[in-house]
Amino acid sequence: MSSNAEPLRGVDANGSLLTAVGLAIHSRIGGDQRTIVTNLDLSLNEAETVGIVGESGSGKSMTARALVGLLPTGLSARGEVRLDGSNLLEMSQRELSRIRGSEIALVLQDPFTMLNPVTRCGDQVADGLVDARGRRLGRRTRREEAARRLAEVGIPETVDRYPFELSGGMRQRVAIAAALAGDPRVLIADEPSTALDVTTQGEILALLKSLQTSRSMALLLITHDLRVAFSTCDRIYVLYAGSLLEVGDASAVEAEPLHPYTLGLLLSEPPADRRLTELVAIPGSVPAADDVATICPLAPRCQWAQPKCEVTNPPLKPVGAERLSACLRIDEIRAEMRSLRHHAERPAVVHHPAEASVPLVSVDNLQKTFADASTRRGSAPVIALGGVSLTVGVTESVGLVGESGSGKTTLARCLVGLETPTAGAITIDGVDASNYGSLSADHLRQLRRTVQIVFQDPYSSLNPLRTVGSALKEVLELHRKRSRNLEGGVAELLEQVGLPASFSRRKPVALSGGERQRVAIARALAVKPRLIICDEPVSALDVSVQAQILGLFRTLRDELGVGYLFITHDLAVVRQVVERVYVLYRGEVVESGPVDAVLDHPQHAYTVRLVESVPRSASQQRPMR
Amino acid sequence: MTSLVVGPRAQVGRRLLRSSPLTVTVSFVFVGLLIFLALFGPLLAPHGSESLNLATGLTTPNGEFWFGTDDLGRDVFSRTIYGVRYALFGPVLIVVGAFVIGNVLGLAAGYRGGLLDASIMRWVDLMYAVPGLLVTIVLIGVLGASYLLAVVVLVVLTSPFDTRIIRGVTLEQRSLPYVEAARTLGLPVRAILFRHIFPNILPISFANAFLNFAFSLVALSALSFLGLGIGPGTADWGRMLSESRLLLFDNPVAALAPGGMIVLTATSMNLIGDWLYDRLADRGRAR
Repeated sequence: MSSNAEPLRGVDANGSLLTAVGLAIHSRIGGDQRTIVTNLDLSLNEAETVGIVGESGSGKSMTARALVGLLPTGLSARGEVRLDGSNLLEMSQRELSRIRGSEIALVLQDPFTMLNPVTRCGDQVADGLVDARGRRLGRRTRREEAARRLAEVGIPETVDRYPFELSGGMRQRVAIAAALAGDPRVLIADEPSTALDVTTQGEILALLKSLQTSRSMALLLITHDLRVAFSTCDRIYVLYAGSLLEVGDASAVEAEPLHPYTLGLLLSEPPADRRLTELVAIPGSVPAADDVATICPLAPRCQWAQPKCEVTNPPLKPVGAERLSACLRIDEIRAEMRSLRHHAERPAVVHHPAEASVPLVSVDNLQKTFADASTRRGSAPVIALGGVSLTVGVTESVGLVGESGSGKTTLARCLVGLETPTAGAITIDGVDASNYGSLSADHLRQLRRTVQIVFQDPYSSLNPLRTVGSALKEVLELHRKRSRNLEGGVAELLEQVGLPASFSRRKPVALSGGERQRVAIARALAVKPRLIICDEPVSALDVSVQAQILGLFRTLRDELGVGYLFITHDLAVVRQVVERVYVLYRGEVVESGPVDAVLDHPQHAYTVRLVESVPRSASQQRPMR
Repeated sequence: MTSLVVGPRAQVGRRLLRSSPLTVTVSFVFVGLLIFLALFGPLLAPHGSESLNLATGLTTPNGEFWFGTDDLGRDVFSRTIYGVRYALFGPVLIVVGAFVIGNVLGLAAGYRGGLLDASIMRWVDLMYAVPGLLVTIVLIGVLGASYLLAVVVLVVLTSPFDTRIIRGVTLEQRSLPYVEAARTLGLPVRAILFRHIFPNILPISFANAFLNFAFSLVALSALSFLGLGIGPGTADWGRMLSESRLLLFDNPVAALAPGGMIVLTATSMNLIGDWLYDRLADRGRAR
């Protein structure tokens, strides 16, 4: 516990509002105890924005919950969390509930489940309000107060509306207004923008930042996205497998990260303003805190790791003005890290393959309307695609960018026959694929061998009961009937996606998210397709794993000549993989062209909004080096 | 991170069962004993199931007749052992029949949808509306009491419930990416249904089969009790219960033994079904 007794330098002890000292969180399920967070020191000053950055499994959300005493059943926190000199961890639930809302408030990730669906927004915001004498407000004052609070977050008109009438972004605003109703001094926001569309994300972050400034309250932002942290926060804590690895000023950390993990995270996050020659990915995936309890948590994945890194869990120590790093070798490797970054951030040129005379896939004025149950009562059917035309050339990589509800997934499903279009034509490799149901067996087989799809969620895209090997073998059996060496085929497929052949005996449960996505890609490759439709293939993955998978997509392309139709909401990701891009908005293509041209000089108002919503910090706004 | 949060599935009841598998062990031992008795019971029974001994007449439990005898001097202990065969045979037939019909129809309806789904589900709705026991009584009344007829009628009455359950879980699996991936890879429908979807819904159909067993045993015994199942004089627990109910004050064991066996068998099957569901649902589930 006391190995980390080093006080935080540069933090005025009087100025800090909320401090955590030696915070440790454990879970106990059944008989075994697991560590979630160990030995975490944190301070939050008045009117300061602090970010906790970490990938899934780092313990960042549980830290946020521990700070307000809202840990789920089975988890317990030890150590100290001080607010005004009293330890929150020792308080009774009753005392805590007095502090929650009035001193510390919490905003959660998912705006769709956070609000009570049967209560009007105004009531949700003003429910807990009391007057000066501690009595509940009268009906009229309550409504006026609620309207005033909702106006503060920019949506006064929602007082009398129910949550289901609002969009995700508006619901998140209501949640923020509700959290601020008790005028707390500290607001903890746990991934407040992650569940929202890109354009809305930026708005919510800007709102939080402006509220923080105007109310001069302290904001603790939990996020997995370094870009968000850099653009919003004053100071940053980097959390990994339950341990803090680096602490420092946001701009200083961005200028020069002083821990290999922070550097890795920074480099694996693709930039939106240029394509990189190669994304530097941290190999492997985030370990469990207990597996790395006695070594440097990053050691198994760190290129600079030495035997001495595997002796103790190194404590944070000062490495400069207001900077803390848990890397033992930081002084030795600092120069190397700097040059790695310099190399990694060089922009690459996008090669456009020669224009083929006949495109592999051509979609002409494709329309799809969904008539759901409610339409029987006279309301209009939902138009998912309102006349989309696009082409994908042979061995070409094309991006399809849009927010949720833009119809991009519907288009993908139409292309592989999971949906049947209402009108319009799809031609794939010379075959009319507008209606899969009416195709002959030969044509169907030809289409299956031409186009394959990789889905977003790696957790449900593999049958949980079948081993990796049997899943791949099944496809090989079907499409390469003459081949005798199916086992060899399985091993070859696994090798192509960068997995050892021994993985064929594993079941999906024994794989991480990134490994599952690799298997899903291998399964698509088994039919030797010429085009793989990738429906948000990396959005469910951690940043460091995302970079690995993006790298894999590039390698496969170079080695096998496979093309992609890459569907994503993330402009930075699309920039790394494709040559041409289509921007989809409400079921229609609003802009298309070479990826550089579209992202650097967007023409359509919607594309402009999309490009502007990517979080950027000061240095990223500089022109390219 | 969500895996750390104790989900709603870890309900108190389930956890209790899991932390005390003693009940399950006992159930397994009991069912194992039943199967053994069904196979070798006649060799072990001290007396024949039908052997009358009017000279002995009605006796209470004693050294020779452990459970005593009934009014015809038949050994209750031996008859209880002989009864195991009927207690297992009929319910097993019903369970297997309903399992096959329910799974095939449920998978087809859930996966195919459309007209097939609509027709199957309307049949299910119709069967739901039929008062089961009443129809059974009328049918058997018209066609004459028979054990096999009772079994067939119970299969027909049980399978709609299975069909509805299987259809529901099939619908749920159908929309999952792994099924959609199998479809885009061009796997034949048969392979998708039986290699991919079926194993994933197996926990539910298995657990359901065990619940069906308990239900069928009780239903068959009830029919026997009412004289609508197996013929008079047979060593069937329901029959024995019905024939011995008048002897309750003379040899209570004659009625309690078959009655107790029905209750214990049904309870064991329920416990095993529940345990099996938990075990099977866990494979490959955790993230």
